[in-house]
Amino acid sequence: MLQRNRKRGSLQVGVIAKSLLACVYIALAGLGYVWNKNQVYRLGDEIKKREASLGSLEKRNAMLAAQLAQLKSPAYLEARNQQYNLGLVPPREGQTVRLWEPTPAWDAQFLARRTAGGTKNVVAQR
Amino acid sequence: MSFSSQHRRALIVATVMGLGFSALSFRLVQLQVLDSQELRAEVRKIHGQVVHRQGRRGAILDVNGNLLANSQSVNIVTADPSLTQTQATESARKLAPLLQMDEADLVARLTREGRYVRLKQRVDGETAQQIRALKLKGVFFEDQYARSYPAGTLASHVVGFVDGQHRGVQGIEAVMENYLQGRSGYEIVERDRKGREIRALRNEAIGPRDGYNVTLTVDQVIQHIAEVELDKAMAQFRPHGAMIIVSRPKTGEILAMSSRPTFDLNAPGDAVPDARRNRCISDVAEPGSTFKVAIIAAALNDGKVTLNERFDCENGAFVYAGRALHDSHPYGVLSVDEILYRSSNIGSAKVALRMGSAEVHRYIRAFGFGRRTGIALPGEVAGIAHPLARWTKLSITRIPMGHEIAVTPLQMLMAMNTVANGGRLMRPLVVKSVTDQQGASVLEYGPQLVAQVISPRASILTTSSLRKVVTSEGTAPRAAVKNYDVAGKTGTAQKIENGQYVRRYYSSFIGYLPASDPEISILVTLDDPSMGGYYGGTVAGPVFRAVAEKVAQYLGIAPQIVESEPGNVS
Repeated sequence: MLQRNRKRGSLQVGVIAKSLLACVYIALAGLGYVWNKNQVYRLGDEIKKREASLGSLEKRNAMLAAQLAQLKSPAYLEARNQQYNLGLVPPREGQTVRLWEPTPAWDAQFLARRTAGGTKNVVAQR
Repeated sequence: MSFSSQHRRALIVATVMGLGFSALSFRLVQLQVLDSQELRAEVRKIHGQVVHRQGRRGAILDVNGNLLANSQSVNIVTADPSLTQTQATESARKLAPLLQMDEADLVARLTREGRYVRLKQRVDGETAQQIRALKLKGVFFEDQYARSYPAGTLASHVVGFVDGQHRGVQGIEAVMENYLQGRSGYEIVERDRKGREIRALRNEAIGPRDGYNVTLTVDQVIQHIAEVELDKAMAQFRPHGAMIIVSRPKTGEILAMSSRPTFDLNAPGDAVPDARRNRCISDVAEPGSTFKVAIIAAALNDGKVTLNERFDCENGAFVYAGRALHDSHPYGVLSVDEILYRSSNIGSAKVALRMGSAEVHRYIRAFGFGRRTGIALPGEVAGIAHPLARWTKLSITRIPMGHEIAVTPLQMLMAMNTVANGGRLMRPLVVKSVTDQQGASVLEYGPQLVAQVISPRASILTTSSLRKVVTSEGTAPRAAVKNYDVAGKTGTAQKIENGQYVRRYYSSFIGYLPASDPEISILVTLDDPSMGGYYGGTVAGPVFRAVAEKVAQYLGIAPQIVESEPGNVS
């Protein structure tokens, strides 16, 4: 009889423990769901703020691009040059030094000569 | 208490509860299943909203990526009069200086019937911010794109402008509309009690696509040089109109295209329609002596004449088909070379007579006269080149001097480019590429050969003659550019009014440099100069020189004759 009562007592503890676990699980799942939902809304709000910020930055960028274009325009630069008496003018032809650009054929010839004559010779030529 | 009494009570409680739950279940099914569609629609109507998002229109850039047109977001200030009526006077007093509007007008708007009124469009971000800071009840803001042209009047006829609906109506804005126009997107959103969007509940979102950017072959520095010189010419010679086109003969690229009168792209409505017309492609006129280049080049190409062959220029008066043809100066016997650089009408008529009408007509068509060049700009006209059947007996002597034919300035420049470019006629290019917002290429436009009109040899021979035009022996010594080898031709055509030639002129000069290997070609035309002369060499020649000097320097075109300036080299 006593043994049977003990068995019944242990059974009740097990049932209670299982029920408690189930309750805790359901409670945690519920909390998790709510937390998750909360996160979704929070992230949504954050995305919205970022979108608004990106939009306003794009608007500002377009406005600044137009301003920059205006400031870089030849007419504006010319006016500022006159306004501040800077006297900036393009260089005249006689004030320009034009450098000769070696052609691929000249390069090949130069390399061949260097191979044949040695580095010392080439340095002397240059 | 008997068992049956307990049982009965339990039954009643169970029945009541069962009925209650059944009623609740039924209501649940009714809301969730039976009336679900209607209720969802109602909720969407109250909390949901379809928000349309407009794609930004693409930008127009010059060849170096400088901005010529872009779209900026501006604000529309609106109001709900049902909310503003009570404080209309106070609100109007605060808003008037910021919106630069009349206070009384604002009061009238703020007290109007209805729930929506627009107070002002195109309000910039800074002003909108100031108005927001006032926290006025019933005043709201809407976003709107506005087209902005940072360079104002620069290249106005090429760039064009948009209408109130942001659609291109002229120039590149109109021609490239399909590429420039962005695509709208939409979002289905839900809002909370305060009207704020609940981002997490956004059902559907198709983002807008911004329009593509269009890059032109036009260089804003060269365009500026052309426009400054054009303005000087307008002040000096007081013509009715004026045009300058700068191009690359080898590729057909248009580096600058400008005409006067002009208009500000930011306020196209303020200009008269005449100022908005791109005269370079829409105006036709008899070209005058510049047309001789085509005839002499054709005759040299066919081997009908040589440069040294001599023609009697009849001392300035040549009677053909019963009508006299005159030269501006009487000439005796001239070589073909001299006929071109001295611009003899009689000489060129005799060269054309040697060729015959059919050949002359064939070359006129081959050089592209009488048909559109195909430039990517709206409003181009074909000009007038009569079919051979409509030629009179006199036509063969009048067409070589640029009469009985009407051309656009662009057609004439492309014909001259043909001579400069070894006989190859190119299609004029004004759009270089189309790119997306990330800079990836969508379309590229390259040089397009239309036809090989004359041989390279004929081109060299014609150029050798055109070089002399800018010498003291030619008609335009004032078009000579210091240190550069220039070839060109003058034109002075009498204008026709009511079917009669009048003493008003269409003066032009078309030239290219360096003559041996042309990098640029420039057309200058003044329509009816009223001061300082009217000959092409006198009025258009100096303008050509001023533009050519600056453009050659800007592009770094190596001079053919180098003069050192001691002490100035650094």
